[in-house]
This record gives sequence, C-alpha cells and structure tokens, in this order.
Amino acid sequence: MQANRRDQMKLGWLMSPAGNHPAAWLHPGAELHGANNFRHYVNLARKCEAAKFDFVFQADAAGARDGNMRALSRAPRFMNIWEPLSLLSALVSTTERIGLCGTMSTSYYEPYNLARQFASLDHLSNGRAGWNVVTSAHPAGGYNFGRDGLEDHALRYERAREFVEVCFGLWDSWDDDAFVLDRASGIYFDPDKMHYLHHKGKYFSVRGPLNIARPPQGRPVIIQAGGSEAGKELAAETAEVIFTRDASLQRAQQFYADVKGRMARFGRPTDHLKILCGFTSIVGRTATEAEEKFQQLQSMIHPEVGLELLSEDLEGIQLADLPLDQQIPRDRIPATANRHKQFFEQILRLIDEERLTLRQLYLRYGAARGGDVVRGTPSQIADYMEAWFRGEAADGFMLTFSLVPAGLDDFINLVVPELQRRGLFREDYTGHTLRDHLELPRPASRHASATDLAAE
Amino acid sequence: MARMPRDPTRGQMKLGAFFHPTGHHVASWLHPDAQADAGTNFRHYLELAQMSEAAKFDLMFLADALAVRDGNLEALSRWPQYMAYFEPITLLSAIASQTSRIGLVATATTSYNEPYNVARKFGSLDHISGGRAGWNVVTSANLSEAFNFGREAHYEHGERYDRALEFTEVVFGLWDSWEDDAFLRDRATGRYFDPTKLHTLNHKGEHFSVRGPLNVARPPQGHPVIFQAGSSDVGRELAARTAEAVFTPQHSLDGAQEFYRDLKGRMAKYGRSPGHLKVMPGLNPIVGRTEQEAHEKHRYLQSLIHPDVGLELLSNALADFDLRPYDLDGPLPEAAFSVVPKGSTTSFRNVLRWAREEHLTIRQLYQRFAGARGQRTVIGSPTQIVDQMEEWFVKRGVDGFLIQPSHLPGGLRDFISLVIPELQERGLFRTEYEGPTLRDQLGLPRPPSRYQQ
Repeated sequence: MQANRRDQMKLGWLMSPAGNHPAAWLHPGAELHGANNFRHYVNLARKCEAAKFDFVFQADAAGARDGNMRALSRAPRFMNIWEPLSLLSALVSTTERIGLCGTMSTSYYEPYNLARQFASLDHLSNGRAGWNVVTSAHPAGGYNFGRDGLEDHALRYERAREFVEVCFGLWDSWDDDAFVLDRASGIYFDPDKMHYLHHKGKYFSVRGPLNIARPPQGRPVIIQAGGSEAGKELAAETAEVIFTRDASLQRAQQFYADVKGRMARFGRPTDHLKILCGFTSIVGRTATEAEEKFQQLQSMIHPEVGLELLSEDLEGIQLADLPLDQQIPRDRIPATANRHKQFFEQILRLIDEERLTLRQLYLRYGAARGGDVVRGTPSQIADYMEAWFRGEAADGFMLTFSLVPAGLDDFINLVVPELQRRGLFREDYTGHTLRDHLELPRPASRHASATDLAAE
Repeated sequence: MARMPRDPTRGQMKLGAFFHPTGHHVASWLHPDAQADAGTNFRHYLELAQMSEAAKFDLMFLADALAVRDGNLEALSRWPQYMAYFEPITLLSAIASQTSRIGLVATATTSYNEPYNVARKFGSLDHISGGRAGWNVVTSANLSEAFNFGREAHYEHGERYDRALEFTEVVFGLWDSWEDDAFLRDRATGRYFDPTKLHTLNHKGEHFSVRGPLNVARPPQGHPVIFQAGSSDVGRELAARTAEAVFTPQHSLDGAQEFYRDLKGRMAKYGRSPGHLKVMPGLNPIVGRTEQEAHEKHRYLQSLIHPDVGLELLSNALADFDLRPYDLDGPLPEAAFSVVPKGSTTSFRNVLRWAREEHLTIRQLYQRFAGARGQRTVIGSPTQIVDQMEEWFVKRGVDGFLIQPSHLPGGLRDFISLVIPELQERGLFRTEYEGPTLRDQLGLPRPPSRYQQ
C-alpha cells in the first residue's frame, strides 16, 4: 500500500438522468422527466464542474434493449438515451472546464466520421473531449446495422484495434502549426504540414487527411472498459483511462497490477493510464440512515426487472420459469460469454462463491450491475475510496449514483469536502483540458520531427 | 419599383442563413471583415447564430463533406474553404444551448453514414434544441469522400439516389419508433413506457437492414425538417416525395418558376400539399448603402482572388481540364469545350455557356464563377436587392432564400443591418418568430406517426 501516494484521485460521473438503480425512477428523490430535458443535464454537469470532477461521461448502446418487454417497460435500459456526441457538444457552451466523455462504437461507425466528430468536440470544448472506445457487446446493436446479431468477440476487438489506429492517424493529418493564416502572402495553410494517411487494412481503407485541424489535445483522451484478455491488451497499448468494476479490493489490485504491468511492452509509462473503478455510494448522516436508503430502493426492484438484468448479462438466457428462492441450475448458463465477459464472470462468481438464490442474486447484482453499493457516512465512504486509491486498486473512480439528483448532491456536498480535507482530491482545476485534469501528456504528432520532439 | 400585389394566404418569405466558414466568396478569408480561423472557431459561429436569431432568420444552415478537397495543393493552400472545419451536428448541438428560436440545419450524407446513427443524431439535436433541427439530405458524388470509406469509386447516380431514398425511409421509420405518448413514467403502476406504443421497424431492403426501434423518444417536431437540393429528374422526384425545403440553385426567374411549378406539381402523387415544401435557393447578396458602394465591395472581393485559385476552381468545374498553360486574358481554349463532365453538370454547362455566349476571358470566367460558385449573386443597394427578392417571391419562383454572405461575419452584418429592415418594412419578412420550432417558422405541419394515422 502506497501510504504516501502523492497524486490525487480522478473522479468522473457516469451520467444518468434519474440514477443508475433499476428502481431509481420510482423514487421521489429521482428526476422523473430528466431523460429528455436538456436543462436537467446542464444543471447536473454544472454541479459536477463546481465539485471539480475530472469529467462527465455519457454511456451509450447501439440499440434499444430487446429482452422481456414487460420487464423493460418497468426499467428501460438504453431505450431513450440521447446520442452522446450531440449531448456532449451541447454541454460545451454551458460548462468551461469539466471533461466531456462519451461512448462511440467501433463496430457501427466509420473511423473517418468518428475521428471527425471527436475532433470537432475537442475543438468546440477547447480540449475537453474523451472517447470511450467500445466494440458494442449487445446483439440489439447488430440488428440495427445490417448484422445478424452480435459479432464474435475476437473479431470485434481486431476491428477495434484497426479502427483506433486509423483514428490516431487521422487526428495527425494536420501538424499543429499547419494553419498559418497569412493574409499578406495569401497562404492559409502549409501544404507540407498536411498528411495523407493512405491506410489500407483488413477492415478499413482510409486515405485521409481528416478535414479538421489537429485537436487541441492532440487527440481526445482514449477511454476503454473491458476486462477480457483482448480488452486488457488493447488498453495497455492504447488506453489512457480504463473503467473497471469489481467488489473485491484484492482482485482490483491484481487487475491494476496486471494492466499496468503490460504497458512497458508498449513503451508506455504506467502513469499514462488511469484506472478508474466503477463506484456507487449511498451517503447518510449515519450508517443506518444510508443502509435504510439503500434497502428502500432494493425493495422497489420488481422481480421481472431483476431477472431481466441478470438475463442480459448472462447472454440473454431465460430465467422467468425458475423459482426465486433457489439457485440458478448451472446447466442453464452458457459456458462462455460473447457479450460482456467481465459482467458475466462476476455473476458466475456470485453464484459459485456465495451460493445466492435467484432473488438474492438479482438484488445483489442488479443494484449496481455487479459492483458494490457502498453505504455509509461521508467519512466511511471516503475511507473506502482512500483504501482503494492508496492500495493501488484504482487511480480514481467512475461514480454512479443510485438516485439523481439526490445521490449526486449528497456525494458532492458531503463526500467531496471530506476527500479534499484529506488531500485526496483537488480543490480547484489547475488546467483547462481534460488531459490537464487527468495528468496525461499531450501526444506528439506522428509527423513531428525529432527537433520538434526535443523542444517539447 | 411599385409594390407588387401579393397573395395574402401565402405568408411571408422564409430566410435561411447559410454559413460557409469564412464566407461564401472564395477569397473571403482574405477580407479584413472575415474571421480567418472560422472553421474551428466556436465563438465565431455562435456570434453568427445569435446575430441571425436576433434578425429572425428561420434557420442557419451548414454544408458538409467527408473529405478535404482534392486538387492542386498550392491553390488549395490559398483557398481553404472546407479543408478544415467543425463537423456540423456537433457544432449545431453546441449552438443549440445558446439560442432559443433559430432552426439548426446540418448536412449529412446518405452515402457514408448508417441510418440508425443519423436518425439518433438528428433526433437528439431536435430534443436538445426543443424542436429546431433540420437535416439536409445529400448523396456523395465525390471521389475524395469515397477514398475515406473504403471505396475506389463513388456510387453511381442511380445507386446513390436509390440508397438515399431507402436511407430516408429507414430514418423516418426509426423516428416513429416511439409514439408521442409512449413514455408514461407512472410511478403508481411502475410502468415507465407503454410497450404497445413502441414499434420495431424490421426494415430489410436492398441497401440497409435495420431492425429498430430507435433508442431515442420521438423528436419534438415528429421528424426534423428535411432539406434537399436535387436538380436532376431523380433528385426532383425524391424531393417531391420527401423534402420539406429545397435549395437547388436558380439563376433566372424563368428557370426558378419552372422548377417551382414542376417540383410542387410532383407532390400530389405522394399525397402532399404544395405548401408543405418550401423552395428556397441560395442567394449571394452583396449589399452597399448605394449601388456604387455595393459594386465597389464586389470588385474588392473579386480582386482578392489569386489566379492559382481561380484556375483551380475553373478546372474543377471543367472536369479537371488544366488551364494553367493558357493566357488568363485570352479565351477559353477550344479543347475545353469537348471535355466530358463529371460531378455537377450544372456548373459545367454554365461555364461553357458564359465562354461561348458572352466571350469571357479565362480571368473573367473564373471571377464570374468563383465569385458566385454556381449560386446567384445580387449586387446593389438594399432597395435593389429587396426588389429582386420580392419579385422572385411574388412571382412564385421561390418561397424564400438561403442567404450566403460573401464573407463572415461582415457580410452577414451588412445583410442584417441593410436588407432585413427593408424586407420587414415591406411586410415580406417576419418581425417576430411564429413559435418555438423550426416547423413553426417554416409553416410546416408536424408529421403524425405512421402508427397513429
């Protein structure tokens, strides 16, 4: 444990208009009409900025969930969610410092379009954009893009790798000083500082150059999730932030050491990647009060909803016919996962190690998609976060709140000051870009000369 | 000119503000009243949007392409239009939160996008802006774009339009995925939405297979407003069937009237009323306080065109015919008249017609063509410009115009301070917005869901 760790933790908020708990919208502490109310998002983003969070984050899915419609109608999942880049762009002009991160899929986009949209967001926000690279792990997406469901995991990652390479190349199309804008000579740009990519690969053929100047951050911050072997390898090579989620400190430490240990092979220092753990907390003035808040929400999960949440991350299997107070028979569950391996394995662990009944399982898993919901006083929650941070299980946290705005407000008003008092979290921004906040270097262009690099 | 009699049932003229980054004129960035770094200067666009909203423009409009322009790099380095600029939907989303009435119209191609993504983006923009989104549907006929999307050739004309038609059908279907009242949010029953009001498209066509449903609630406008610019027979047919505003270039009143009648005449067979499509071609105004001042402004802009740029532009219009070996002040060489056109045949025909009928020199040709780039330029005092606008409007050549200021923000400021008051004075243009949505401004109905008709 690095008791004397000198950096500060990084905090991002995974935006959710009513809260991430499956019963959140039923609770009076949640905003009922937030999903299509832009002002609601503005208020939330401004709160996070006032609390000096590193970034807000808009998750995404390439299709509305398509399981049991009765269950989904009680707890919709990705069924009415604004396209992330549109939302983040709209937040550009209502915030000044906070990072603006969002998911976009390498499976259902073209690299040229994606590179352009994120470059555009980075320019609009003066360097606050982050891209969460996903391969899209739900078959509902495939059906919307001419595919017969979900493609194979390995193929998705292979495509993702090439996709990211193409984007990196496109973002370097123009040197930082390519635009001279010299009215006296009539020269707008220096043609020698514009570069064609001429990429021809297995999945993409992209000539370039990109039709937008190099992003202020060089490139947007690259975010990934995914605990599979392929995911960890891709992260060690290219990611600058990764999200993970685990209830066990020890396993999280192993994951942290594993991913950071892979970076040397790609010539990357370990602090060029921030590992953020998914973290859900419920704060009370007393531990009992926090526990009561949690149990109230848990009691509101309809069984249909609970089963649907499990089914979704167990490759879509049927569970409705099973008795709630017995374990899921092991032969009902497929041997391997093609959707989210990390979520799938967490459920199996809960079944095997804790021998939970179906009802216990959906309550435990459904509350925060497998993560713990940490309940306690502000100081207990800060203790937990401090232990993970100092213990090198995390460089920071991807926060989710069961109820929004109530839970977000509680965290900002009660926990953030405690973290600041302990010196664990910033009291003000020290820079302007998301890279500044995350203490990540601005990447040099691949076309920068040795002289340019030496001067940096 | 005497006030022209007007049809009181027809409403007022519609005006869009079409913002090319530094302005429409090829040399605009060299003008001292232009923002040289406009392409990625958000403050610049925000100022334009807010000025236009204060002046009650119906909408602002952004073009797009999915590639840098190809050609002679020396010339391009002096002519930076559309080499490096914001992607329009992200830009308009950013502008949405700082404006409240003006429509926000972005171009997105059906050739190199997926309908699901486009439906979501415009659906999201429509929600974020409170019902002000518009989609300019284009097809890509540009080799530079093809090269960025794994293709060695662009789609042929017929295939592009087939694909565009299917693409728009899919997008319209996706926007109707949720009925307007599908979201119940009823805490008493625990029902967030009514599953019977959620519709799965199950589209399987020649170009796209899209199951749906869209994961965004039905847009506030039902569908964002659809813009197009087709001039070919296929393009007109697509417009008559699906477009709600069309900005195909028009150079003469006769031609505009023919187009107007033809397009609106095609609508009945699709069960559409002629008022549900607004014809608003591009217009490049150069306005001075006097006619003389306007011509001086124009001459100044034309003088800023570097010959390299002029020749590059002309050779683009003439299927890459290289004019550099020829005398700038001599005639267009005979060989140029026999090249085979590619891309826009309208520009090609115009250039050859000017050369043949008006005996313009190469320099005069590129100035004529570069200055307007295929769109109609009007130069004059406010009265003269408004006279022309009024005549075209009253004589049913147009329902309005997309104003393309020569340089930005200077040219927009001129139009707003000199021309808009004259239009309003004559009752041709609004002094207050009709309502909160773009459909309200344009007088277009909100389309009912296909599942509720």
